[in-house]
Amino acid sequence: MDCREFCDQHVAFVDDTLAGIELVRMQRHIAECATCAKHDAKIRRALLLFRNLPSIEPSADFSQRLEARLRASHNDNPFVTTQRNLRRGAIAATVASAMMLGYIGMTLYHSNDPHDLLMAPVVATVPEPDFTPITTSAPAIVTSVSAGLTIWPAALFAEQIPVGFAHSSLELANYTR
Amino acid sequence: MADIVRKKVVSVEGATVRERLQAMDDSAVVSAFLGGEERAFSELVTRYQTRLLNFVYRTIGDREKAEDLVQEVFIRVYRHLHRFDRSKKFSTWVYTIASNLAKNELRNRSRNPLVLFQTVQKNFQDEDRPLQFEDTTSRPDDMYRKRHLREIVEETVAKLPEHHRNVFILRELEGKSYEEIAEITDCNLGTVKSRLNRARNSFAEIIAPYVD
Repeated sequence: MDCREFCDQHVAFVDDTLAGIELVRMQRHIAECATCAKHDAKIRRALLLFRNLPSIEPSADFSQRLEARLRASHNDNPFVTTQRNLRRGAIAATVASAMMLGYIGMTLYHSNDPHDLLMAPVVATVPEPDFTPITTSAPAIVTSVSAGLTIWPAALFAEQIPVGFAHSSLELANYTR
Repeated sequence: MADIVRKKVVSVEGATVRERLQAMDDSAVVSAFLGGEERAFSELVTRYQTRLLNFVYRTIGDREKAEDLVQEVFIRVYRHLHRFDRSKKFSTWVYTIASNLAKNELRNRSRNPLVLFQTVQKNFQDEDRPLQFEDTTSRPDDMYRKRHLREIVEETVAKLPEHHRNVFILRELEGKSYEEIAEITDCNLGTVKSRLNRARNSFAEIIAPYVD
């Protein structure tokens, strides 16, 4: 192993992530090369110093400040808002479903009720005959036509015909009422 | 009396839920939150707040801003968790958000040098940071040396190019695998290894005179 290869692999060597053979080769190189051994020692000492830096702790009011900020952002949180809306929607949908199911249930329940039998039975009856006499004020026309008389007597009454028909149709209307 | 008993029952239930959440892995906690368990989010915050704060702080170098950004990370997580692909690792997703926010912050700073100056000033005046490099049993000169050393380390990290620093912190501080770093930074594996190698060499080079 040369010094260049040693330097290339030094990160893994310090972090102890080298494979067994490579590790042995690196150790052997340090034993042989004073420069690389010095470099290795310098790096390790420096890292030791850095790793032993004192850890800093959050200030006493850190949690309170964070809680306040979280509470403030809680209302703006899209996830929370969405969840809240979904929850409201779900409640509304549940209530609507329950009402719909209730309505359907009620309908089905009452459809089985024999409420038709409670009504008065329908009995077929023959309508009573109406014996109102047919009254017509133009018997002359009727009789003259049905009797097969010659046409001239009818012609004599020709100017009376519209009146007669009108009168007759009025009577007929009265009859059908 | 009944009220007291009821309160006790509720608190016991709460404790049980919290314990159950603590025992779960990230994926299960995420599922619990999406299933309507609001306390699951607090569990995620508890798990990640310190880690993210350190990551963002080391990246941007401003503690106050780092806290703001970490809060922003959690707000984004809260708002978009329903869109998170649960076949992937939650931690990778969270770090990706944090990394992007930190990157944007640095970009904004570079566009507005005044902000950078103010931030640097604030960092130098900030005496409230914990001095954990020191311990009270040390001699005063030791304490001074250690505090000085810590400042040098932080300054050295800040000197690294942004894309190198990001990879460097994710690996050395957060212990992420190369694959995870590649996903978080949206780079391929070879780039991650190359950047990590350069970052380590640069860091060691700058810090060496102070260590020797």
